[in-house]
Amino acid sequence: MANEVNEDLLRKIIRQVIDEQRSNEKVVDFGTSNTDSPAVADKPKEVQPESNTTAPGMDAPLKLDWFKHVGPAKKGTSSDEVVIAVLPGFAEHMTENLKGVPHKEILRQTIAGIEEQGLKARVIKVYRTADVSFAGAEGDEYSGSGVAISIQSKGTTIIHQKDLEPLSNLELFPQAPVIDLDTYRAIGKNAASYAKGESPSPVPTVNDQMSRVQYQAKSALMHIKETKYVVPGKGPDEIEINFD
Amino acid sequence: MTEIDDLISKIVNNVQDASSSEPKPEPVKQATQALNREMTRDDYPLFQKHPEMVNAPTGKNVSEITLEAAINGQVKPEDLRISSDTLKAQGEIAKNSGREAIKSNMDRAAELTSIPDERLLEMYGSLRPYRSSKQELLDIADELQNKYNAVITANFVREAASEYEIRKKLKGDN
Amino acid sequence: MKRQKRFEEIEKRPVHLDGFVDEWPEEGFVAMDGPNDPKPSVTVRDGEIVEMDGKTEDEFDLIDKFIAKHSIKIENAEKVMAMDSVKIANMLCDPNVTREEIIPITTGMTPAKAADVICQLNFVEMMMAVQKMRPRKMPASQCHVTNIRDNPVLIAADAADAAFRGFPEQETTTAVARYAPLNAISIMVGAQTGRPGVITQCSVEEAMELSLGMRGFTAYAETISVYGTEQVFTDGDDTPWSKGFLASCYASRGLKMRFTSGSGSEVMMGYAEGKSMLYLESRCIFITKGCGVQGLQNGAVSCIGIPGAVPSGIREVLGENLLCMMLDIECASGNDQAFSHSDIRRTERLIGQFLAGTDYISSGYSSVPNYDNTFAGSNTDAMDYDDYYAMQRDLKINGGIVPVKEEDIIRVRNKAARALQSVFKGLNLPEITDEEVEAATYAFTSKDMPDRNMVEDMKSAQDIMDRGITGVDIIKSLYEGGFEDVADAVLKLLQQRIAGDFLQTSAIFDKDWNVISAVNNSNDYNGPGTGYHMEDELWEKIKNVPMAINPSDV
Repeated sequence: MANEVNEDLLRKIIRQVIDEQRSNEKVVDFGTSNTDSPAVADKPKEVQPESNTTAPGMDAPLKLDWFKHVGPAKKGTSSDEVVIAVLPGFAEHMTENLKGVPHKEILRQTIAGIEEQGLKARVIKVYRTADVSFAGAEGDEYSGSGVAISIQSKGTTIIHQKDLEPLSNLELFPQAPVIDLDTYRAIGKNAASYAKGESPSPVPTVNDQMSRVQYQAKSALMHIKETKYVVPGKGPDEIEINFD
Repeated sequence: MTEIDDLISKIVNNVQDASSSEPKPEPVKQATQALNREMTRDDYPLFQKHPEMVNAPTGKNVSEITLEAAINGQVKPEDLRISSDTLKAQGEIAKNSGREAIKSNMDRAAELTSIPDERLLEMYGSLRPYRSSKQELLDIADELQNKYNAVITANFVREAASEYEIRKKLKGDN
Repeated sequence: MKRQKRFEEIEKRPVHLDGFVDEWPEEGFVAMDGPNDPKPSVTVRDGEIVEMDGKTEDEFDLIDKFIAKHSIKIENAEKVMAMDSVKIANMLCDPNVTREEIIPITTGMTPAKAADVICQLNFVEMMMAVQKMRPRKMPASQCHVTNIRDNPVLIAADAADAAFRGFPEQETTTAVARYAPLNAISIMVGAQTGRPGVITQCSVEEAMELSLGMRGFTAYAETISVYGTEQVFTDGDDTPWSKGFLASCYASRGLKMRFTSGSGSEVMMGYAEGKSMLYLESRCIFITKGCGVQGLQNGAVSCIGIPGAVPSGIREVLGENLLCMMLDIECASGNDQAFSHSDIRRTERLIGQFLAGTDYISSGYSSVPNYDNTFAGSNTDAMDYDDYYAMQRDLKINGGIVPVKEEDIIRVRNKAARALQSVFKGLNLPEITDEEVEAATYAFTSKDMPDRNMVEDMKSAQDIMDRGITGVDIIKSLYEGGFEDVADAVLKLLQQRIAGDFLQTSAIFDKDWNVISAVNNSNDYNGPGTGYHMEDELWEKIKNVPMAINPSDV
């Protein structure tokens, strides 16, 4: 099996997330609509001296030249586009997937895959959910072709098409650690191909049974972080991408 | 319509489509009632202990479901379904074995046998979060009660409607 | 720091690749006995629960509401809740107290109380309790049959192989969702070829899965997921009521069904509400009970990496299996997901369920090499068969499978591949060539299979649904292809759906379609000399591993 785990890095991230959490007296829980926010423990929290880090959910989004918000997303009408729906933490709160592949490169390759098929890519950021499938279903609604790709910060990706049940899919890539940049490109290509009404051969599934073992805990931590940026009821933003 | 659209809509239609025809209303002969007592664990397995009771909703007894009959086209998909009576009998066996909760599920299931596949799948879909308004759920409950005589299930759906309202799981709440 | 050489060497051991995480209770990274778990409590007024586990009725979320209304034997609740958790825990592992005496107590508890009882037990006490509390007297196991190319011929051959080894239940899924009808048919035909009486399922999206069952392509379903927090339940696109309705839909079509839950899922999905994994899992088990569902697959299942990463996590996993059995629910006890790089830890994961025996020790022993396991790999796979057989033989344990001869496996694999070939021909699906049959017979993995035209296969999968193909058509094709015995087995399977005997708790079939369930094979363990004992015939098979030397040959 491929062993590229950087255990130190993993530990560092876990520590960081835990420390961030501990450093903040108030647990922020954007995700649950419950008013009795159960994540707020009645256990007294240690008050720590000021810290440079901010708890997940409280940090301001990174200002990025290549990833710009240009208002609420519009529903597309042209059938030659594929929407890429990224999740709330993507690029602006986390910058790399589970395996350390930069989000920027992930988008670059996915978009290239779509364009390779002669179609246009449009990126939106979803806020309502941290779930890859529901984000895909929301992406469909905005996609002129009805086909959307949804990408979580940790890297999990799905190709979805309108009229499918939210938890169904055209193709699902659940094992984020084994999705490399070539695969993201192939995903873009296949999504565009579906949008054109073709029946492409599915992107070959790579299976590495030990990758889940290595990455599941980290995957949970990244997902927890993603949920902190969920804003219930908020529609997606249009994102302008500029790689130049 | 592109090819893939076509495929997708077919998938969707199919999931909701009743390929097999609507089950007929159950015949009056009801072996369970003929025995005139509740089933117990001693009556289990029904297939071995009471084969005469094991009838499809069409009234066909399991002994008539032979390989020859299947090959000769004398077995319809609806001949291979479980009947409402059998489910009630299995519910009684479960209760007698100390599992009343299973009986409650079997009793609901017994009511659902007469609902076509397509409609049943739609009803399930309507109960998923954010799919239906309260009124739509109440209408389903009425349909269950009035059209299919599914009183227990109707009340189950009414209960859902009221809880969804409180906990914001109705259409538009997300 | 100058490294100590022994430390450096130890760090190269596989266990160092595993993920270990410190506890983080605020986000649910705590196995059991969490600092934010509610204290057990209940108040009953006019026969209704108006307060439970520290929340009053108006504070109940969707899950609390459902549990309070449907899942607890209210007439016993106040009495049971007043009992000392240690005393109940003691009864659980005391061989002198029978299962029958305990069930009225455990079914009157609240989720927090049940979790509290589990927290009183150490690992060995849990095993003693599991031995007694599993509903079916005879233990068994379940397997996965998949491959990453969704190759139907190989699925059929592998299903026959696994059936012949003795798995009474088999589960497949898809690498690509649209393949579902083909995979479902392939595993069913293969399994009935290997050993009549095996029941099969195909794990896909909820509505699709039910539709496959309605057509007679599957006999049971398992991956009907429930979750322990309202937010995660909603993200799973269901509510306790929609799942309860779905449960009744399955039963109404004569299909066996169990739910799936498992600790760690709420953490994985990001909304654990600061509660321990065991407490949240307890809520899942109570939801299952309230839906009137006969069984549950739990034991962390695909999220094993989460409890596996925190202290006392693997103890918690056995604890949640036990909690399921305490509520008188069939338990398919996990062990179905790659868990560790370390063979020692893999065995540690398995040992509680394996030694004590559960309804399904594994809810997915990978009957194929993990390379082809599209459930992302299991804790044990085809490459572990001989180790597993040795463990059964060393300890005189029925772990659910029996040793086999290579020539027998070649025979059943070949027959299953040919049977499926005739089904594809009869149903006018893309041809299965003789070359594919040969390859599937002798294959190690799907790499050994000739490529199929996947686009054509997917179209034909859709076509199966469009044309309204059912189990009866499969019977005809098998019969016309000369596989009368397999046709007969599929027919018998469909007959069982009319009778519904296998809807009862923990039901499986033997090769003659005799149903074995908690109703006619209930666990009566009451100390040494009681409960399950391996019959002589089975012990002879388990003893007889092909790798053993016959002393007379020396």
